[in-house]
Amino acid sequence: MTGFSTLTALILVPVAGAVVVMLVPERRRELVRPLGVVLSLLPVPLAAGLFLAFERGEAGFQFVERAVWIERLGVGWHLGVDGISLLLVLLTTVLVPVALAASGGIDHRVRLFVAMNLLLEAGLIGVFLSLDLFLFFVFFEAILIPMAFIIGIWGSENRIYAAVKFFLYTALGSALMLAGIIALALIHREQVGEISFSYLGMLDLDLGLNTQRWLFGAFVVAFAIKVPVFPLHTWLPDAHVEAPTAGSVLLAGVLLKLGTYGLLRFNLPLFPEATLDFVPLLATLAVVGVIYGAVVAIVQPDLKKLVAYSSVSHLGFIVLGTFALTSQSLEGSVVQMINHGLTTGALFLLVGILYERRHTKAIADFGGLASSMPVFAGLFLFIAFASIGLPGLNGFVGEFLILVGSYPTLPVYTVLAATGVILAAVYLLWAYERVFTGEITAPANRQVSDLSIGETLVFVPLVALIIVLGVYPKVALDVIGPSTDAVLERVEATTGYTAPEPGGTHVVASGSGE
Amino acid sequence: MSGVSYLAIAPELILTAGAVVVLMVDVFARPPARVHGWLLSVTYALVAIAIGFQWRRIDIDGAGVSFGGTLLLNHLSVTVRAILLVVAVLGTAAAWRMLVGLRRRAAEGIALVLVATVGFMLMGASADLVMTFVALEVGSIALYVLAGIMRSSPAGDEAAMKYFLLGAFASAIFIYGGALVYAATGSTNLGEIAAFLSAVHVARPAVLLIGVGLIVVGLGFKVTAAPFHSWAPDVYQGAPSGVVGFMAAVAKIGGFAALINILTRGFERYSGAWGDGLALVAAVSVILGTLLAIQQSDVRRMLAYSGVAHAGFILTGLAAGLVAGSGVLFYLATYSVMLVGAFAAVTAVSGQANTGSTFEEYRGLARRSPVVAAVLATLMIAMSGMPLTTGFIGKFQVFTSAWDGGYEWLVITGLLASVAAFFFYLRLVVVMYFRGDEGEATTLVVARSIRWVLVASAGVSVVLGVFPGPLLDVLNRVGA
Repeated sequence: MTGFSTLTALILVPVAGAVVVMLVPERRRELVRPLGVVLSLLPVPLAAGLFLAFERGEAGFQFVERAVWIERLGVGWHLGVDGISLLLVLLTTVLVPVALAASGGIDHRVRLFVAMNLLLEAGLIGVFLSLDLFLFFVFFEAILIPMAFIIGIWGSENRIYAAVKFFLYTALGSALMLAGIIALALIHREQVGEISFSYLGMLDLDLGLNTQRWLFGAFVVAFAIKVPVFPLHTWLPDAHVEAPTAGSVLLAGVLLKLGTYGLLRFNLPLFPEATLDFVPLLATLAVVGVIYGAVVAIVQPDLKKLVAYSSVSHLGFIVLGTFALTSQSLEGSVVQMINHGLTTGALFLLVGILYERRHTKAIADFGGLASSMPVFAGLFLFIAFASIGLPGLNGFVGEFLILVGSYPTLPVYTVLAATGVILAAVYLLWAYERVFTGEITAPANRQVSDLSIGETLVFVPLVALIIVLGVYPKVALDVIGPSTDAVLERVEATTGYTAPEPGGTHVVASGSGE
Repeated sequence: MSGVSYLAIAPELILTAGAVVVLMVDVFARPPARVHGWLLSVTYALVAIAIGFQWRRIDIDGAGVSFGGTLLLNHLSVTVRAILLVVAVLGTAAAWRMLVGLRRRAAEGIALVLVATVGFMLMGASADLVMTFVALEVGSIALYVLAGIMRSSPAGDEAAMKYFLLGAFASAIFIYGGALVYAATGSTNLGEIAAFLSAVHVARPAVLLIGVGLIVVGLGFKVTAAPFHSWAPDVYQGAPSGVVGFMAAVAKIGGFAALINILTRGFERYSGAWGDGLALVAAVSVILGTLLAIQQSDVRRMLAYSGVAHAGFILTGLAAGLVAGSGVLFYLATYSVMLVGAFAAVTAVSGQANTGSTFEEYRGLARRSPVVAAVLATLMIAMSGMPLTTGFIGKFQVFTSAWDGGYEWLVITGLLASVAAFFFYLRLVVVMYFRGDEGEATTLVVARSIRWVLVASAGVSVVLGVFPGPLLDVLNRVGA
């Protein structure tokens, strides 16, 4: 993989794709979406190649590329991938083609739609790959525009409100982070002698506890809004519900992970002492999010909103695992990021298909659909099981690792969060019951067509990954483990904290599929 | 060194000659507009060459002063000229249809544009308060007339009158400040003032500080810093849309250039005092400009108030002592291009002569004219300071230097205001792209000259936003 800049290509190929799509002449508009799907498939082999060539057991960044970007400001085009980001990049490259393939319902301004999705992909991959805080911020902020466009142009009735709310909320978070980044760069100049935004350089800085607290605060607000952590989640239901299916898939599948990724990548390693101070606060908010999200999901009359609130709940688990600061909990958090991307992405696709057929998302409008669309119902149940955490499917691995890993350090929080697993079963299975089982009450539900071959094919990669990660999680854990352990070691090395030794449970977890 | 160097004023001489030629040719030959266009192009080309020679000369001989110590020939003054030239070229292209539409008075309009450029160029080169005042008046009076050049438009008349009265008031404040400084230091020459201040301890500096304060207030009017901005929305709204971008940009460039010259050359010793003062004005401008911009229903007024906020951001950089470094000039140059581009888009949407431009007129613009909508969206995104645009690089530098200079509170204020500002920048994008899907869209016809300005301004904002390196390198040499 030398000579050819795979990481740069991963970012630039979607950008080039967006340009190509915009150049398709108006009279060939029917070509746009197929072309978009093909173009969005191009990064997949690149990411897969990375995955295969990735050196397992290695904690540091690999395939590192470094070039000067804006010399005078000390900004570098500095990319690299480690166990935390590799799978997220892979997830992104898989979800974008899926989202585009499932967007047959988009009937106006298709070129712009495809281009915006591809630009979004470039931005998302850029966030995961950046090893320069300036570069990271550029991508982190730049993705707001395509996402706001996707919600604002192709969303449902309240789309403009949702798009603006999404934009302003997340921009507010990143504004404070920018102040933090500037402060870090200036501290770097003070201590090292030159201004720099290099992530690796930042790791070597000697930050006082007070500075760490401030900077932690500046970063955590940005990421907590993205996750979203309760009570900063209010933009999410609006954005998810109003967004078109592709938007919801990418929003839930990848965009929310920018927050949890940021916490793990920046907050923990850069401000370890402050992290310890903030554990009680964030663990509390995480658990509140888990339970609150689940409870609100239970009472949602709208299927899409239900899935949206389930995200709040699931992401709470990830935040809990992140701040439980044990080897397994961190590992579980990353696994769960991938899992949630796959399952919730799939759930949004299903809800989207249902909406296209019936033009309603209200649970009360359905009932007995299992008899008119059996394949669809089966798929929904399968994904719901994955989301609930049925052993053998991917959700189990992540939640189990998080709960087992969090118990030694945060027992009370973990016990409380565990109720979220039960509540997840309640809201998803109850929703399944109301939508799919029983007699068909509304006549419109009688003629609903089942999944077409094409639609079924869209789910194949997601279902395959759900099973693979559920049965053989080692394939992911081998990649993730060393890097999350390195984060933990860094926290331990710079503070007086010692993480509890992983017990036998670790073996059970990773050995369950062997 | 302080003799007479014609090279030091070569660009101004060429512009003045251009103005005279255009007027004379018009009187004797009454040529078609095309001829004026050629004359103008030749004038601008010669100015560009002259600026190149000036830069070379400074590289070889170093910076200097001439005309009895009143005019500087340094990298800063030449850079300001270059920025003004770019704005003038874009501005005349954007205003071309309007100028041609004036028929018999087209030459007048062209000459006024050239004279205004001369005035503001001299402001950037002036090393003497009296010279600054003369330059300020040359530029400003040309702009007052330009604002009212559409005689048939009552709104234009009102704008011109308001601009003139408040502008004259500001000039009076400026010259009064200059008089107080003269009383305190015995000179109006910036070099002599600085020498006096470093040699003599001013025991009771009240007169001096009031004088400097009044100078800042006078220039604050020109750059639309709050609370001296009240004329801007009315003038931006009432003046013919073709020239507003030019008017707004050149006055800001000239004003900031003079501010930089005066504060750093004359009163460096008191930088602590004026730094805090500027920081206060910056904060007020940023907050007030943003809050008022949110409430506007007219795009031109929105741009006027957003300009107040931008003036605040530039002052943020100045307060922190990034005085002659690249940050402030980068911001000034790139924002000016955005401003001219944005008003060119306004012109494209609501017509050359029209006054006012409500948000409603932009409804569904993405369907009526994808190019104008894309450009305007790009410019709004750039003005809001999103990454990958010059707006971000500009703000980033200003904030970095402000944080470095100990004005953390100002940075936080600026960042929060930037978030609030998304509200109105985004609003235009929302109106253009997210609304107006229903019904037939009538294609918007855009004049070629305006299309050229649109593409150029958006292109500059993105290309220099992604690759700011070369411009930063050039501007960084200004610091010397």
